[in-house]
Amino acid sequence: MAKILGGIGTSHVPTIGGAYDRKKQNDPDWAPLFRGYEPVKVWLAERKPDILVFFYNDHASTFFFDHYPTFALGVSAEYPIADEGLGPRAIPPLKGHAGLARHMADALVNDEFDISVFQDLPIDHGVHSPLTMFWPPSPDWPGKIVPIEINVLQHPIPTPARCWKLGQAVRRAVLSYPEDLKVVIVGTGGLSHQMNGKRAGFNNEKWDRKFLDLIARDPKKLAAMRHADYIRLGGTEGAEEIMWLAMRGALSPRVKKIHQNYYLPMTTAMAVALFEEPGAKPASRKARASRKPSRNGARRARAST
Amino acid sequence: MNPQLKGAEKLAGTYLFDLATSAKALRLNRFLHGFTTPANRELFKSDPEAAFAKAALSVEERRMVRDLDWAALIRYGASFFCLEKLGRVKGVSNPEMVAGFRGETLEEFLKTRRVPGAR
Repeated sequence: MAKILGGIGTSHVPTIGGAYDRKKQNDPDWAPLFRGYEPVKVWLAERKPDILVFFYNDHASTFFFDHYPTFALGVSAEYPIADEGLGPRAIPPLKGHAGLARHMADALVNDEFDISVFQDLPIDHGVHSPLTMFWPPSPDWPGKIVPIEINVLQHPIPTPARCWKLGQAVRRAVLSYPEDLKVVIVGTGGLSHQMNGKRAGFNNEKWDRKFLDLIARDPKKLAAMRHADYIRLGGTEGAEEIMWLAMRGALSPRVKKIHQNYYLPMTTAMAVALFEEPGAKPASRKARASRKPSRNGARRARAST
Repeated sequence: MNPQLKGAEKLAGTYLFDLATSAKALRLNRFLHGFTTPANRELFKSDPEAAFAKAALSVEERRMVRDLDWAALIRYGASFFCLEKLGRVKGVSNPEMVAGFRGETLEEFLKTRRVPGAR
């Protein structure tokens, strides 16, 4: 049966992918961002998941407001990289796991989560901006994805509570897939930022850090909040944090946050958090030894405020 | 009003992109979203007035796009994520657009940031 190893919450600002594409690893302005993703990259390289299930949002790149889906599940074996105005990024097309995705469509709809589905539509930076930081292609992708698009652009957007429940339904769907697959759940977006009006450029580090604490310790508190709260505390685009809630909803109550990083250089707070399920133990002593940088990374992240 | 948003309308300098805004600016946003297609970008770069005419933009819509009047475009109902495509086509970065929303120059905006070089 398919198994969930853990989860990743991450920002998806396009400049994250831009820093990767422009090889800014050693640029002092970007190095703290790359360092923050390193433990996630190592964890994935050790655990070798077959599939990453992504809760993400499209940015009016593929979907447009003439028909903007609230939730849409990708069920294709391949997704082109979206052209967001400059031509697509020079990375391979994303590989999809159609078998798991079709099973998830059946499971979700029969679980009364009437999700829409899409085939081979292009996918934008909502997925691949952070993806190259922790699962880079060399030269092709290390595994497959299942993308789940969530509308956070055009109100009414789904409530935080609904995204939490979607995560729970996705957990049931994944765990009922008969093939022995290792799955990691990813939620992208946030943290605090606002991209309109005179309040543009708004950030709130205090709230961001509280969110990073609650998403691990008390996610139901986050699920009970309204969008007006998220917008007041984290800016209009801070509402993207509901995709982290969907990710967290797909994890067990016993999951542990084993790493986080927070970096606020420009307009968007760039955060990443790694969650590990109790069953997802390292395969060998060697693997355990190489986990240490992860813990150090977490300490560094907490210290560097 | 959407009960999930009640209270957010009181935040100064904040625009919520809802169905009324979306309907009002649908034609403009469709034009901006069109920049995801190379042929539309080429037409806009080589003959902006022809691109405006093809999309049947209003006089005011044409002026805002021509002048890259970011603050007015947002006020009118453009989605930031559609404007982002216009930014890419015109070589304008997101920090420059944000400075425009705030009524600041890029230099003024960067002074308020922790790592002004991270662009």
